[in-house]
This record gives sequence, structure tokens and C-alpha cells, in this order.
Amino acid sequence: MTETPARKPRPRRTFSAFGDVRKMPSEYEIMTHAQNWTLRENRTSAFEQNPSSAPNLWFLTYRDNSPLQAQDWDAYRDPDSLTYRAYVNLQSEAEAKVAGVLETHAEAGSDAQLPAGSVALLGHLFTPTRYLCHGFQQVEAYIGYMAPSSYITNAAAFCTADFLRRVTNVAYRTRELQVAWPDSGIGSAERSLWETHDGWQPARKAVEYALVSYDWGEAFTALNLVLAPTLDDVLLTQLGQVAKGNGDDLSWLLTSLLAADSRRRDRWSRQLAELTIAQRPDNRAVLDKWIGRWSQLADDAAHGLGQLLASLTEGAVRADDVAAHARAARERHLASLLDPASDETTAATG
Amino acid sequence: MALLKREEWQGFVRDVDWSYSYVDDSAVFPEWHCGTGKVPREAWSAWEEDYKVSYPEYVATQREKEASAYAVKSALQRSTTFDHLDEGWKSATKMHFGGVALVEYAAVLAELKMARFGLNGAWRNMATFGQLDELRHAQITTFFGHEFIGKDAQYDWTQKAFHTNDWVLISLRNLFDGMMIAPNVVDLAIELPLTFETGFTNLQFVALASDALESGDVNFANMISSIQTDEARHSQQGGPTLEILVEHDPVRAQWVIDKAFWGSARAFAALTGPAMDYYTPLEHRKQSYREFMEEWIIDQFVHTIEEYGLKKPWYWDEFMRGLDIWHHGLQMGLWYWRPTLWWRPKAGVSKDERAWLAEKYPNWEKVFGDKWDVLIDNVNANNLEATLPETLPWLCSTCHLPACNATQSRDGTWRVRDWSLQYDGRTYHFCTNGCRQIFWKDRDNVNHQTLIDRFLAGQIQPMDVGGILGYMGLTPDVMGDDPDYEAWTKDYVGRPVEGISLAAQS
Repeated sequence: MTETPARKPRPRRTFSAFGDVRKMPSEYEIMTHAQNWTLRENRTSAFEQNPSSAPNLWFLTYRDNSPLQAQDWDAYRDPDSLTYRAYVNLQSEAEAKVAGVLETHAEAGSDAQLPAGSVALLGHLFTPTRYLCHGFQQVEAYIGYMAPSSYITNAAAFCTADFLRRVTNVAYRTRELQVAWPDSGIGSAERSLWETHDGWQPARKAVEYALVSYDWGEAFTALNLVLAPTLDDVLLTQLGQVAKGNGDDLSWLLTSLLAADSRRRDRWSRQLAELTIAQRPDNRAVLDKWIGRWSQLADDAAHGLGQLLASLTEGAVRADDVAAHARAARERHLASLLDPASDETTAATG
Repeated sequence: MALLKREEWQGFVRDVDWSYSYVDDSAVFPEWHCGTGKVPREAWSAWEEDYKVSYPEYVATQREKEASAYAVKSALQRSTTFDHLDEGWKSATKMHFGGVALVEYAAVLAELKMARFGLNGAWRNMATFGQLDELRHAQITTFFGHEFIGKDAQYDWTQKAFHTNDWVLISLRNLFDGMMIAPNVVDLAIELPLTFETGFTNLQFVALASDALESGDVNFANMISSIQTDEARHSQQGGPTLEILVEHDPVRAQWVIDKAFWGSARAFAALTGPAMDYYTPLEHRKQSYREFMEEWIIDQFVHTIEEYGLKKPWYWDEFMRGLDIWHHGLQMGLWYWRPTLWWRPKAGVSKDERAWLAEKYPNWEKVFGDKWDVLIDNVNANNLEATLPETLPWLCSTCHLPACNATQSRDGTWRVRDWSLQYDGRTYHFCTNGCRQIFWKDRDNVNHQTLIDRFLAGQIQPMDVGGILGYMGLTPDVMGDDPDYEAWTKDYVGRPVEGISLAAQS
């Protein structure tokens, strides 16, 4: 016997799925890593059923064969490392703040003191957003359903809930404003504004198109990289500024508080886009094409809302400026993402 | 002036559907994802959940629950409870962690699917809470299971199990893919929240929580009872969906429920049945699996379906007879093929345990006793080899579990029967008539290979036990073995050997 006895392996301290790691994975990683069995290695199909069943073909087409590819999607980490526990802690605190603001303003009777112009502004540009945000909620849920890693699914899952949070806050305010201003149309006119008002149609078109963009990578690009950053700039940032200028502190505070969710979404989405390019520079062209296509729709939507905003502020703001501001916000979000700055890396790996 | 009450404003959160004009409704809600079928599209506008919840209420309540679940865990962290738990009970928890953690995640995907494709805004919102709930369950189960890896490598399968081709996991993936992640949302809402969650999870969670407490595993009991408190909220997606489906297409409603109930019953017979009737120490057993099924599943299930104007499934008599047979046969199969398990299966057939089994299941000795006697005599003759598998069991083409169900013939003998059918030039085999009928009716499993099919097709190499164990992802540190042969064989030492054990020894 000349063989050396095998060294006794170190006792395992964490899941073998992490490989032979010396550093203990974080609680976030333990709870998030490789949770989706339809992504297991060496599978013949996503689902344990007829390989040519409709669900298997759908996942093959829109997830596994998406133009957006990466060597290792499980290398992705949410920069906020959100777990369920962290999420409900974070959002119950955030909602407590919202409740404080709402209560203070209810006690002060703020809504009754709003000038008619402010009421009209909210009724046209704020309360109808529950439809838009619900559409976003659906698209985000789809991204979570289809994503190629549980790290991505979980980020999208929390983000889906964030959109419901936003719809909930809009609904609450809709009722308060309806009570204070029963003849304003608030609480009854939203659906018709959303479906027929010229200012809303480009936004509705964008979200309807996003709902039928079934490639998971395109859905992610459409919503998280383009539409949401662009339209949040109009509907949270710019609307909040206008409200503040009108003395409507409540709307300004509420939009500012809700914007925290958008910033968190921007952080993880940007991080994911960067990962795809770092792992596979060819993804730059894929994202570029999609960003181009969706930016056009997003710009049109921002411009439509800009026209609404202009008409409701009696020309204090211009539609073109609103659209430009929104575009600039998106461009900041995407800044240098597609720059061929890492061409050396491309050359090295290609 | 206080905040408005939820009832005053929640209508707006629920009222978020609109008419599309830039794309077709059928493109946003494709039929195979949504499954409206014979139900007119507008009928879904009547969908209404019974128990309403709002986002701020949700995050506040859940924050409290999380805080207390983790507080109990950290309080118990330094206790030595785990080291003193019975091996049988530990096996029940390993089976639970491996068999459940990622199923909770499959439910996340199922809820996300309903959050996208649900046919009513209120339904999609409820599914948005549902996916958060399931995320909680996946994370807490994964994290609690992870804690024990340092003490016992089998807990690695908390995360790993569903990534392998172990036969137990192929069976469970087939079931849960088919009723959770892949189906259209109408079927999904009836299969997952209604049939599975309001029915079967009670079995695993309520029964196991009480067995956990009896066995002294406070941590486990705490975890699963905390999980169970979320079920009422998201499981209510089934009721309103079923109500609408029954009104327009009762035949389909009946079929969807029947199929989901059958598949769940097969899986629970394989896992919960042995855990309750064999692994849980005798002195800690509250009820037999059959008694628990009757009290918690059957009465409630029959009550629920009758409430919706549906009937008992067509296979009811076969299912009821199976309550005395299925899980005992599967227990024998699990024990026999123990190297393919990520836990240490107890045989659980000492004299006292057999007396209990015979009391709860009057036919037990007649159908199973003599087979266990052969195993016992071989163990006592130090012939362990004869108790280990050298061949593979035939697996059912519907449930993927071993075809090991004995049925009584007219002459009174009990035999394991093969139900088969020809389809497209191929013979498929099934463990029960119910599995055969389900295969024929929906054909989801056509062209889908069982582990045995894969083996016979040469996909598993080398074609021996080692090759199969490798294909199943089993490593020597995890492979199951009986935790204590002596515990259940010592009662029989020295007795005369008869039957096939005698033949084997001569």
C-alpha cells in the first residue's frame, strides 16, 4: 500500500452548494443561494415533466435562451442584501413614517386647504398612477417568476411588493382627497383619465407593451432600467417638487418617502446590468438594443405626462423640460453602463 | 383625527384592472398561463378574497412574527437540545428540511405567477402578499436547517436535495412543478392554496409541530407553527377562484381538485406517513397517520368540496383503502433503499411498535409483518447484505414512487399489483389505478422518463448501484443507514427462522 491515506475533509459548516469556501456565507447568502430548482445543473428541462410541454418550452425560450446570457447568474448579489426579515423591518419602519405624515396632515386638515389647482394636479397626475404602478407590479412579478437566479428573483419579489406599497399609498390618498373634494372627480375619474386622456396614453402604451415583453431580460431592461427610472422622475421627483412649490407639503413628503423604494430598485438593477456586462461583454449590444427601443417609449410617456403637468401648472413648467429632466434621470441611472470603456477586457476575454 | 380605516380606501387598491388598447387582452393573459377556459373573461371581476389585508398591516404584523421566531431560535442556540434528540425524530426533521425548504421556494414562483397572470387585480395583490409569505417560509426553513450542518452533514440536503436526481426528489419535483410553478393560474389557485395548503400542509405542519414538541424539539415546533400562521392569508386565493370555476365549468373544477388531492396524498404517504408511524418515538406519537388523515384531511376536504357543490373524487374507495397500505409499503421501500436517503430511516418494528401498528392497522401483520420478519432474521443472522438493495424498484410513471402497493385478491392473498397501459407504442406502469387514470387523462407525463427509464436507456453510468447513487447526488457522508439495528431486532433474537430467510441462509 503506497497510497497516502486521504486527508479527512474539514467538517462542513455551510451548504456544499457554496463550494469549498473558507469564509462563512452571510445570512443573506444562505437564505438566497440556489433556491430555484428549475435552474438546477444537468437538467433536461426546467420542469420535471414532458420536455416539450408548454411550460418547458416557455422557460426554454424566454429564460434559458434569452439573448441576455451570463456564465454564472448566482454570482449576483443584491447590494442591499435584502432578506425577508430585513425587508419587513425596513418597510414597517418606512410605513410608520408615512403613517406619521398622513396623520399629522389629517389632523391639520391639509387637504381642505389645498388650492383647487393642487387638487386638480393630484387628481390628474397622482391618483391615476395606481393603474400604472399596478402594471409595473405585474411586470416585476414576471421578472421574478422567470429570473435565472434566486438572487434576482428575490430582489424582484421585494420590488413587486414595493409597487403594491405604492399603489396602497396612492389609494389611501385617493380616498382622503375624495372625502375632502367630493366634486373633484378624484376617486371616480382615474380609470377614464388613464384609458383616454392624451397625457396618459404614451405611458399606458409603454406599460402595456412591457406586459407582453416575455423575454425575461427584455422585461427587466424595459421596466427596471428604462421605464421606471424615467417615469419615477416625473411622478415622484418632479411632481413632488411642483407640489412643494404649491405648498402641498404632504404630496411632496409622500413622494419623497416612496422614492426610497425606487432608489433601492435602481441600485440592484444597475448592479445586475453591470454583472451581465462584466461576465459577457456581448451583453452590451443586447442591452443597447433594448434600452434604445424602450427609451423611445419612455421619452414619449414622460413627454405626455409633461404636457399634463404643463397644462395643470398654467405653463409654470414646460413639457419638453419635464421630458428632458426625466431622460437625464434615466441617463444618470444608465451612465457609462454601455461605454466601451472595458474594451481591453473584451479583447482579453474574446 | 386618526388614520382612515382600511375598509374606507382598500377598494381603490383592489380596483386596478383596465381595458387594454395597445395590445390584446389575450396577449397580456395568454390562455395557457391564465386558463380561463370556459369561464367568460368578465366573470373574474367578481373574484373577492374573504380576508382582506393591507400593505402597512402586513409588514407590521410580519415584522413582529419574524422577531419572535428568531428570538426563540437564538434563545435555544446554546442549548444542547439537539444532541439529545432521538435519531428517528432527527430523521423526520432532515426529511422535512430537504423535502420542504425549496418547495416553499417553488411556492414563491407560483405566487409570482399569480401576481402576474391572476385574472383580477385583487387576486394579483393577494398573490403579491403570498409570494412574500412563501419567501419567508423558504428562508426560515433554509436557515434553520443550515444551522445543523456542522453537527450532521445530512442537513446539507436542506438546500441540496431538490438539485439532485434522487428518486424522492424527482417524484416531488414532478408533483410540485405540475401543481405549483407550471400550471395555469386558475388550476394553480385550486391546486396549491386550496387543495394543498388548506389540506395537506396541516398534516405536515400541525401534526409535526405537535410531534416536535413531544420529542422536545422546541426550535422546530416554533419554526413550523410560525409558518403555519401565514397560511390563512394567502391560501384564500383558492376559494374565490374555485367558486367562479365551479359556476362555469364544474367538470374541470372537479378534475383539478381530484388530481391535486391524489398527487398530494401519494407524496404525503411517502414522507409524512413513515415519519408519523415509524420515526416518531412510540411514546411521543399522538395519532396514527391514518387517524390524522381522517381527522385533519379527509373530513375537511370532503366538507370543502361539498360546500362548493363538488363530489368525492372517483378514486375515493381506492384512496381510503390506501390509508392502510400505501405508507407502510413505502416505509419498507424507504428503509430497504436506505442508501438513497439523506436521513437515517428507522425501521420502527420492535415488538412494542408492531403491537401499536397492529392496533392502528388491523391488517398490518398480515400484509407487512412477514416481510419485516425476513429482514429481522437476516439482521439477527448478521447477514446485513441480504437487507440491502441490489436492484431497483419499478417506479410509477405518474407519481414516480416505487410500485409497492399491496392489494387484496379475491382469494384473500395480498399482492403488489402492476397497473399498466399502452400508449404510443410504449407500455407504462403505475403503482395504482388512480395514477394510471391520471396519466391517461392529462398526459403531462408522456415522454417524461422515470429514474428507471433513464437507467434502462443508459443515461446513468456505470450501470450499477454505485452509478445510480452517484446520479442521485449521494455522497458517502450523507447516504442513509438504519440508526440502530439492534433497537428493533433484539426482541427477536434466538427465535426460529422460517420462510425465505431460512432459504437465504442455507
